Amino acid sequence: MYDERFLLHDTGPYHPEHPERLKAILKGIQDAGLLSDLTVFPAVSPEMKWIEAVHTKEYIQRFKEKCLAGEPILDDPDNKMCKDTYNTALLAVGGVIDAVRRVMENELDNAFCAVRPPGHHAEADKAMGFCYFGNVAIAAKYLLQKWHLSQILIIDFDAHHGNGTQHIFESDPSVIYYSIHQHPSFAYPGTGREFEVGTGKGTGSVKNSTSLPGNSDDDWKHLVERDLLPIFDKFNPEFILVSTGFDAHIDDQMSNVKISTEWYTWMIKLIMELASKHTDGKLVSVLEGGYVLKRLPELAKNHVEVLLNHSCHRRKKCLSQKQ
Amino acid sequence: MFVTKAMTRDVITINKNTNILQAKEIMAENTIRHLPVVDSENRIVGILTDRDIRSAMPSILLDDYEYKKAGEKLTELLAKDIMSTSPITVSPACTIQDAILLYQKTRHGAFPVVEADGKLIGIVSVQDMLDETTKVMGIGEPGTLLCIIVKERVGELKKIVDIITEENMSIGSVLVSQCWAEGKRAVFPYLFSKNVVPVKRKLKEAGFTLIEPSQWYLDNPLEHG
Repeated sequence: MYDERFLLHDTGPYHPEHPERLKAILKGIQDAGLLSDLTVFPAVSPEMKWIEAVHTKEYIQRFKEKCLAGEPILDDPDNKMCKDTYNTALLAVGGVIDAVRRVMENELDNAFCAVRPPGHHAEADKAMGFCYFGNVAIAAKYLLQKWHLSQILIIDFDAHHGNGTQHIFESDPSVIYYSIHQHPSFAYPGTGREFEVGTGKGTGSVKNSTSLPGNSDDDWKHLVERDLLPIFDKFNPEFILVSTGFDAHIDDQMSNVKISTEWYTWMIKLIMELASKHTDGKLVSVLEGGYVLKRLPELAKNHVEVLLNHSCHRRKKCLSQKQ
Repeated sequence: MFVTKAMTRDVITINKNTNILQAKEIMAENTIRHLPVVDSENRIVGILTDRDIRSAMPSILLDDYEYKKAGEKLTELLAKDIMSTSPITVSPACTIQDAILLYQKTRHGAFPVVEADGKLIGIVSVQDMLDETTKVMGIGEPGTLLCIIVKERVGELKKIVDIITEENMSIGSVLVSQCWAEGKRAVFPYLFSKNVVPVKRKLKEAGFTLIEPSQWYLDNPLEHG
């Protein structure tokens, strides 16, 4: 899922979350000749009820009014705005929901949503860390309420903790949130400590793996094997949503961990294998962070290639079953 | 900051004739461990802690008969029988820093806050001190910690703050480490932002050495000296 209108959200100069990111991602996929194998579709406007399932009406109204009034920031100087920011944020949500719908209706096997602005820091009533609407959180609510699923897994491997996603679901046992990120004492936003495990009925539905600055692939592989894999012993997800952030990459200055391009391929392969086993491959991956223009093309290409390969496997499986 | 800002004002108190089983229940219900004992004028006359009560409980090593007898005795035991009659109190002019140092010295988990005439106006616990420290450090708010190595000379901190201000960034706190390699200090600004790349670049351009805060925690300064 990609839409040129995502480029309209202008964060001004010197802001890492800028439109060139998406151009780089698209170019990587295009140059590798993958476009002909993919179904590329644009974003659509979402029904407001899905956004209201996560965000307060007061916040949505405030965002809309401030944006259309031309205010340059929302809630914090990190969140730069132009007049198109609100509508772009709406489209990002709409695009992700539409991707989920297409997967649920078996029109697609899985999907990667190259969206801006990102979403995992957005709280119910507050913009944070370049995020305005919780794209992934809203998609999870859509799956719960529209499709009546009761077991959803969100995997977040952005270098920063997805505080928004966690807070929205931390008391809800039907959504498991797993995140691997740089340790909160050394990285924004300062949440996602290992003792944060969910609250009330949702106790046990949050799992955070924290990584010290300087950690590399082996550390991240170890954490994922230690903390993510056991989730599947107790929980059998019907759908997997992935918050895909490429900013733990060694060349990305937005974090201080040293993750290679290869780790990202390893990670999405592992996730796809788990998806094949548990959700019949049903998965939607949504872009969060990742800011190095020279690395994004390859990272995105590798990511989409893995999704595509699994899509082929699934089709072959279906074909052989039919025969 | 004065303790009056951090203390609990609605103090749960008992009088010296309160039965200790009742005091135990009050502690459990309110999840507290310190009960100031006051007279009819709300003047402090002692303090009863959960440790005082635990010490008064019969030992499980007693045989059934002795245990039962000791248990009966408990129903007659009053606060005045086991409380500390000279509690360590602090005045409203005491600062949080004073209270922390006093805790380090005495290891008492809470201090009644008492006016000059002996009247109780609050209680400040280690939890309250930690809460205030957390606020001062800004760690409850989303942000990013930097670590900047500076030479120990006048004006370095000003330069850092100026650069951060030029970048229009909000500072949660600035801690300065006193113990560092000779002639150097580590400055830790906690910035309320995710986007610290530009300010880091500017600080480096201004000649400052930036290291990972985690490297400093690992106490490996010489490598970067």
